[in-house]
Amino acid sequence: MDHILSVLVFFPAVAALLGFVVSKESIRVYGISVALIEFLLSLWLWFSFDGSYAGMQFVELLPLIPSFGISYYLGVDGISLFIVVLSTFITLIGLIALSIKENIKNMIISLLFLEMTMVGVFVSLDAILFYVFWELSLVPMLYIIGAWGGNLRVYAAVKFFLYTFAGSLIMLVGMLVMAYLYYQATGVWSFSITEWHRLVLPMNYQIWLFVAFFIGLAIKVPMFPFHTWLPYAHGQAPTIGSIILAAVLLKMGTYGFVRLTLPMFPDASVYMITPVAVLSLIMIIYTAMVAYAQEDMKQVVAYSSISHMGVIVLGTFAMNPEGIAGSVFFMLSHGIVSGALFMLVGVIYDRRHTKIMSEFGGLAKVMPRYATIMGIMVMASVGLPLTMSFVGEFLSLAGFYKVSPVMTILAGTSIILGAVYMLSLYRKSFFGDVVHEKNRDLKDLDGKESMALWSLVLVTVWLGVYPKPVLGPINTSVESLVSFMHKKSITEEAKEVIKPTVIEREAE
Amino acid sequence: MLEPISVSLESLNLGTLAPMLVAICGGLGILIIDLIKRDLDKTMYVMLSVLVLFVDLGTVLGLQAGERGFFDVMFIDGIAILSQIIILAASMLFIPLALTSKRFHEFSYPEFFGLFLFMVAGFQFMVATDNLILIFVGLETASLALYTLIAMHNREKSFEAAIKYFIMGALAAGFYVMGALILYALTGSVEIYKIEEVLIAGDYANLTILLVGIAFMIGALGFKLSMVPFHTWTPDVYEGASAALAGYMSVVPKIAGFVVAMRIFEFLIQSDVVWLRDILYVAVVLTMTLANIMALVQHDVKRMLAFSSISHAGFVMAAIMIGTTQANSALFLYWILFLFTNLGAFAMLWVSRHKESRWHERYDHPYEKFSGMIQIMPVGAVVMALFMLSLAGVPPFSLFWGKLYLMSAAVNSDYIVLALIMAINSAISAYYYLKLIVYMFLKSPEENEGTVYMRNASKPLQTIIGFSVFLTVFAVIAVEPMMDIITAYVQASGF
Repeated sequence: MDHILSVLVFFPAVAALLGFVVSKESIRVYGISVALIEFLLSLWLWFSFDGSYAGMQFVELLPLIPSFGISYYLGVDGISLFIVVLSTFITLIGLIALSIKENIKNMIISLLFLEMTMVGVFVSLDAILFYVFWELSLVPMLYIIGAWGGNLRVYAAVKFFLYTFAGSLIMLVGMLVMAYLYYQATGVWSFSITEWHRLVLPMNYQIWLFVAFFIGLAIKVPMFPFHTWLPYAHGQAPTIGSIILAAVLLKMGTYGFVRLTLPMFPDASVYMITPVAVLSLIMIIYTAMVAYAQEDMKQVVAYSSISHMGVIVLGTFAMNPEGIAGSVFFMLSHGIVSGALFMLVGVIYDRRHTKIMSEFGGLAKVMPRYATIMGIMVMASVGLPLTMSFVGEFLSLAGFYKVSPVMTILAGTSIILGAVYMLSLYRKSFFGDVVHEKNRDLKDLDGKESMALWSLVLVTVWLGVYPKPVLGPINTSVESLVSFMHKKSITEEAKEVIKPTVIEREAE
Repeated sequence: MLEPISVSLESLNLGTLAPMLVAICGGLGILIIDLIKRDLDKTMYVMLSVLVLFVDLGTVLGLQAGERGFFDVMFIDGIAILSQIIILAASMLFIPLALTSKRFHEFSYPEFFGLFLFMVAGFQFMVATDNLILIFVGLETASLALYTLIAMHNREKSFEAAIKYFIMGALAAGFYVMGALILYALTGSVEIYKIEEVLIAGDYANLTILLVGIAFMIGALGFKLSMVPFHTWTPDVYEGASAALAGYMSVVPKIAGFVVAMRIFEFLIQSDVVWLRDILYVAVVLTMTLANIMALVQHDVKRMLAFSSISHAGFVMAAIMIGTTQANSALFLYWILFLFTNLGAFAMLWVSRHKESRWHERYDHPYEKFSGMIQIMPVGAVVMALFMLSLAGVPPFSLFWGKLYLMSAAVNSDYIVLALIMAINSAISAYYYLKLIVYMFLKSPEENEGTVYMRNASKPLQTIIGFSVFLTVFAVIAVEPMMDIITAYVQASGF
């Protein structure tokens, strides 16, 4: 199938439009079936993907505005493939576990539209197309947070929208400058990202453009000091909103670093390693401390999620194959693990309508199955070996160790701090005696919750024990990316840092 | 004794005048029909007006770029044809908004449609000449007709609006005349191309006086284009006028104003002698930013759209300031896309219009009115949200492409700071467009009656809204062919 990527992008959108006709009672099953078909399609993409080839596959190219170089240009490589699969997987799991009752039709239609934009961002190879999906993803999310969220939902939703919108407009100016520079160099307009990769720019241009792109992407990640929208968004969003936000939408930012800034501005990226690393470190340590101070379970998970995103950025800016491959893998594991944690918090919130830790205690006795899965996911979040997070976190940090051992050791405290706040969360809510009467007869996980959560556990453990099927294709593409950057870079300093070495693959 | 002047019909080249004559004759025809038979239905007059405009459009399309006619005062170049096409298309789309299901006072008078056609002819005169006097005649014809159209809405607020607009317009006309006078005194000509020649030949002597003249011109066009600080009339006039007419005012008079501004300012900007570029830079930034900030605090959707249209006009003025072919083409593209989005947005307000003040004693369209619309009328809410997102510049809806081209034009001429200011302004503007979306989607409804938002709707109005939705969503397909045509016309006229 030549057009599998177009099908993947537009199938959920078409399904969402048709969903307007489906009756309210059946919309849930409809949504799950659509998400399942989409997930199977993405698995098909994975199995027909050639893991030994590093370049873009399943490429589709159709000029949209030829005189201005804008085209409908799609393709996947090892870096984007698994994020696409992650998006479809998380949407499916989220839909299965969906516990919202009111206005469920609007919710499912928005989720399907959101799925289109998520897949679209990760397979776009044209900057304007990328930007279109990137911005469109804000709209359904605005609605999901604003319509089903907590008390401050409107504030949180608008803050989320405006922060990201403002940042990405600055990135848009950067894109326009980039296109103009490309035009000056070649005489042709083009917004193709792969064409832009080939353009070697002088250092001062690189730095300014790097800053423009960085602002847009960093707000999405969200990096310190642009992170303030995220705790609000998570705090107010319904469970499904938080799951999608943490698992997929935040990855758009870090994916953007790998796809756009690193190969386009390798010298500026190397030049900026220290400031970016310092910001990441602040993000890692500061938000971990903030996480410890929270009383709300969801806020703990939200801040821990920001803290882990810092490790991803750090790994990306290690600029060597280990670091980048590790950070891409960490994006996947962060998606699975933080998605699962938000879902778990949602489970208890549905039952008690509170997320404050002091309201709980002794849940392990009342809800043993729930406590088991929570235990596994807490361990995964902390980075226990044999879970997925360990592989990603270890590789990211190992990559950055080559750049700066001191900073890596500081970043390593994230594992310790993570253990502190996650385990204290677990202790406060699950161990001890049942203090509150209301907690005595809470129901344990029901069928759909167990199904959704166990499949997440399964993936976490499977890829923690045997990451090769995923790490292999990622490595192939990342290695070619790094050797490309090495060739392209113009400063000695950059050539020094960006070293294309073949790394030993795990479990080989 | 004076020499007898012999004029051959050939040299008059009346073809250049044909479009305006069609509109004027059509307007007179409507008045004559009313004399012969009274109490004909408005539907007939609306359709007659559309047909007259259609014939008008046909004659415009028949024109050749680069012609002069009627004692050389008519000047048909690429942008004259292009802007007439936009004016006529917009008029054809706006006039059917009179076919509401509720009866409104003004549409029962055939004079309304006659005046409307005279106004269109006035705007056509404005753009199809480079003679300062004829521009003035066109401007006044159109404005006087427009004041009357506003007043015909026959509510207290509309009288206020019409008088406010009239007084401000009269002041602007005075400014224009003073500006033209000074340019004439300096160069001995009222034709822009001759003024340009004389000024360049004299190497911009008497710069101070020239600057005073230009200041008057900026004032005059600033009023018409509602640039800050000459914008104060805009929100009140929009509020007083019916939504249909307010939408029309936000599009058509401005495109005529832009063309005049382009003709008068472009050569001065290129000369780099006068400070016009800097003055315009400041005016553009102020217009975009202040209008955006004031839009943030409005309580009425129509007033918000008034401020937003000021801000969009500022955005587009930047193109005139930049002055490259790409920028001027982007101006027209932007305005065509803006036309369809704004048509839809104002038409949505128009169909929800009630005769009694139901939500607010002063405003017809307070935000609260749209509270929870998604639960009462999902399709209407989604459509309105599409227009708002398009106005905010969210891709892939129509205005995004206009912004993209305009910002790209700024970047290509090394105005990167300006492009950044535009980007930040788009982000600010997103807030007030979102405010309506927040009310529609995220609040619970105050009314439960399903028909409340469609009180004034009829099949033709719904068709027009559907048409704008289609163009707003699928604009990307139209951008390439439109840009080809626009660039060809703009290049043909040397801008």
